[in-house]
Amino acid sequence: MLPHIASTDEELVARTVAGDADSFNQLMHRWERPIYALAYRVIGRDEDARDVCQEAFLRAFRALPGFKGEAKFSSWLYRITLNLCRDWIRRQKRTPVVLAPEGVDIVELASEQGPVESIEDLVARKQLSTTVGEAMQHLPEEQRTAIILKEYHGLTFQEIAELQGCPLSTVKTRLYQGLSVLRRQLDAQGSTGRRTTEKAS
Amino acid sequence: MSETFPCDDKEQLVAYLYDEIDGLTRRRIDEHLRVCGACAAEIAGLSGVRRELAEWAPPTVALGFTIVPAAAPGPPAQVVRPARWWQAPVPGWAQAAAAVLVVAAGLSIANLQIRYGADGLVVTTGWMGQGRETGTAPGSSALPASAVSTTPDWQPALAALESSLRREIRDARAVEAAAPEPSRTAELSAARVADLIRQSERRQQQELALRLAQFGRDLEVQRRSDLVRINQGFGQFEGRAGAEIARQRQMLDYIMRVSAQPQPK
Repeated sequence: MLPHIASTDEELVARTVAGDADSFNQLMHRWERPIYALAYRVIGRDEDARDVCQEAFLRAFRALPGFKGEAKFSSWLYRITLNLCRDWIRRQKRTPVVLAPEGVDIVELASEQGPVESIEDLVARKQLSTTVGEAMQHLPEEQRTAIILKEYHGLTFQEIAELQGCPLSTVKTRLYQGLSVLRRQLDAQGSTGRRTTEKAS
Repeated sequence: MSETFPCDDKEQLVAYLYDEIDGLTRRRIDEHLRVCGACAAEIAGLSGVRRELAEWAPPTVALGFTIVPAAAPGPPAQVVRPARWWQAPVPGWAQAAAAVLVVAAGLSIANLQIRYGADGLVVTTGWMGQGRETGTAPGSSALPASAVSTTPDWQPALAALESSLRREIRDARAVEAAAPEPSRTAELSAARVADLIRQSERRQQQELALRLAQFGRDLEVQRRSDLVRINQGFGQFEGRAGAEIARQRQMLDYIMRVSAQPQPK
């Protein structure tokens, strides 16, 4: 089988603008996971995150002819998504509700992990995930978004500053303050997960 | 605090934490951390938070967005995601099949019987009337009383009724055409009026029974065609379900294979 040479985002954008809707489907297929993950972590609700994700792609599709490529397609998509998340948070007028802890899917976790991790560790890891998620939802939106963009999307300080429309130094301050609050909260909870992580490391 | 790095420079500390810093500053901070316990503890603590953050994963959900472009001058483009099966629109044939099934089930449960006899058109439900004899109507001697029911043997009787009714109506019309216009004189007796009314009633009953017979036949034809379509539908459904199961089994095999391999540390 010949190696599949994937088109770049820019090539797919150009083809979409030329009228090939399937190229946009490829773009969505490529970016739906990161965009959904971004929306989910910022607003904290699965169903609403899907709605935001769907709306972000629709807006991107409609606005694509005006996208001149000054920024990367992904940054542009992130900006649309973050604007929609901010609108959603404003509409809620309250701290986003974190989803109830989900049931631990042992099969799913076992497929992700090597065979060395015990069931107890898997459960603890799942609990930790929920604890961190809850702690994140209590941060101010700007700090949470900065941490999410840095930790899960690997953006540079500069890219975050452009997305958040603030100076570089503000991004660093937001990151520092957010991480410090999380550190205090997680220390105070003395979560089982921390012990698990330490044991694993 | 040391001479190389001020402890309150949190921006630089964050830059160090994320390794987005030039080499010279990094070396200065490394040096500082060796001598400043507070900063070293802070970096260790923040690194711990980062490790814990790495565990926070969004739920594994099926997305699969697709774009539905606008067909000019139709509605604007839409991004759609796969609907859950219980939210998907039910196709027309399935709705029709369901309706027919419900009606058929209702009829079979109710044991609907439609009978035309001496007491006119009788529609009965339930199982009480089974086995009752159907008598010949005294008021319509030429018309055999028949039962129209959902039992399979009603079809020949229905056909016989229909042909008999058609003959009746034809004869009645012929007689009417041949008969002179009734005079509006004083000799017109009450008996004659009563006879005319009776004839009229009979014709109406015959017409109604005929329509009912046609309706029954149409219903049977429709039922058969719907059954065929339902069978075809189930066949397609089974085919799709089979393919889906095979695909999932393949995926499961793959997951089992992958998870069985020891992961590199």
